[in-house]
Amino acid sequence: MGTGDDGLSDEALLTGIALGDDQAGLLFVRRFQRRLYGLAVSIVGDAGEAEDVAQEAFMRIFRHAQMFDVRRGSVSSWALTITRNLAIDATRIRRGVATDPHDRAFLDLTSTRLAPDSAAIASEAAARARSALADLPVEQRRAVVLATLYGRTAAEIAEAEGIALGTAKSRIRLGLARLRTSLVDEDAR
Amino acid sequence: MSRDTGKPAECEPYREDLAEVALGIASGRRRGEVLRHAEHCPSCSAELQRSSDAADALLVLAPDIEPPLGFESRLAGRLQAAEQPRRPDRLRRAGVLALAAVLVAVLGFAMGLVASNHAGTSPSQEARSRPTEAMLSSNGQVVGSVILTAGSPASLIMTIDHGWWSGGVTCEAILTRGRVERIGTFATAGDYSTWGAPLAAPAGQVLGARLVNATGVILASASLRT
Repeated sequence: MGTGDDGLSDEALLTGIALGDDQAGLLFVRRFQRRLYGLAVSIVGDAGEAEDVAQEAFMRIFRHAQMFDVRRGSVSSWALTITRNLAIDATRIRRGVATDPHDRAFLDLTSTRLAPDSAAIASEAAARARSALADLPVEQRRAVVLATLYGRTAAEIAEAEGIALGTAKSRIRLGLARLRTSLVDEDAR
Repeated sequence: MSRDTGKPAECEPYREDLAEVALGIASGRRRGEVLRHAEHCPSCSAELQRSSDAADALLVLAPDIEPPLGFESRLAGRLQAAEQPRRPDRLRRAGVLALAAVLVAVLGFAMGLVASNHAGTSPSQEARSRPTEAMLSSNGQVVGSVILTAGSPASLIMTIDHGWWSGGVTCEAILTRGRVERIGTFATAGDYSTWGAPLAAPAGQVLGARLVNATGVILASASLRT
């Protein structure tokens, strides 16, 4: 469960939003805006469009706050998933302007070595995800990161990596299957 | 219709694309085909869900990036605009009031402004996100305040003091060359009313704002440039 410096959990803020609490809305926006905007930038690659995506994500979160079910995952994951889906929809409208897969964030995520500063500030969930990612073969890791955090299709990954479409599909599928084992199935045990 | 029990042979054409569908990156047509199969296939449906959960778990790795200046105020405007038609009886201040305060406190303080005099602003200065605040006056009496944010789009946030007016009012932005942009009609209610909305015109063209009643009589006005 995420908790901010103010001691309020993400779930408490979302409940406050559902009840029309102004202050909860403000704290929620200030807590999540960098994360949602950062994810939107990763996927759409354009600052103006990323702002539209992040703002629309907040609109939907506010609109559907009362529908959030804590049993189905964290608020953070829910908010990021909404943002990711919106960002991917936006890129479908404007395909061809791809996020640079050689930027710093991408290289950090696909490197076998963790950046010390990143590791130090990583939350428990992020550290776990990063560790699971690091356990993948590098080609699967790159494919999964490009598809998940950058919204790239298998065809785009194939072109970017200079591989066959079937190979790109296999890397995504196998990489995700391994991540499932370490991130999802372990939780279910 | 026979129910697909998820036998390997029947699932084979779909297995390869389950991950892409879970990630939302499959084409619309292929996505539809796979989802139609998964709807009647417990095995593929479960795999789809697990893949989706794994992808969601990775999203925490997205980089934190500071959004552009004015993000909060623009969001406040959108939230308010979305709430207005749904709950006209209760002006929801969710986000708007608090974010307006933050707008003034944070942006104003950080940029050393919240000024009412904008004359002589150069285009390069105009491009920066500058909130401008002015008092809303009626017959010489201060009855509220107006904040103009110079984002893209610009937004106008208006607050009416307690008890000054009760009922519907129309807010208009006074633009250069004698033009007027009608922002919307709002119901004042309760002890305090705040609303905001994005503007079609850029902030550099806004000279002021005013409230008019249903017959067009000006009730209060604010000058955003002196």
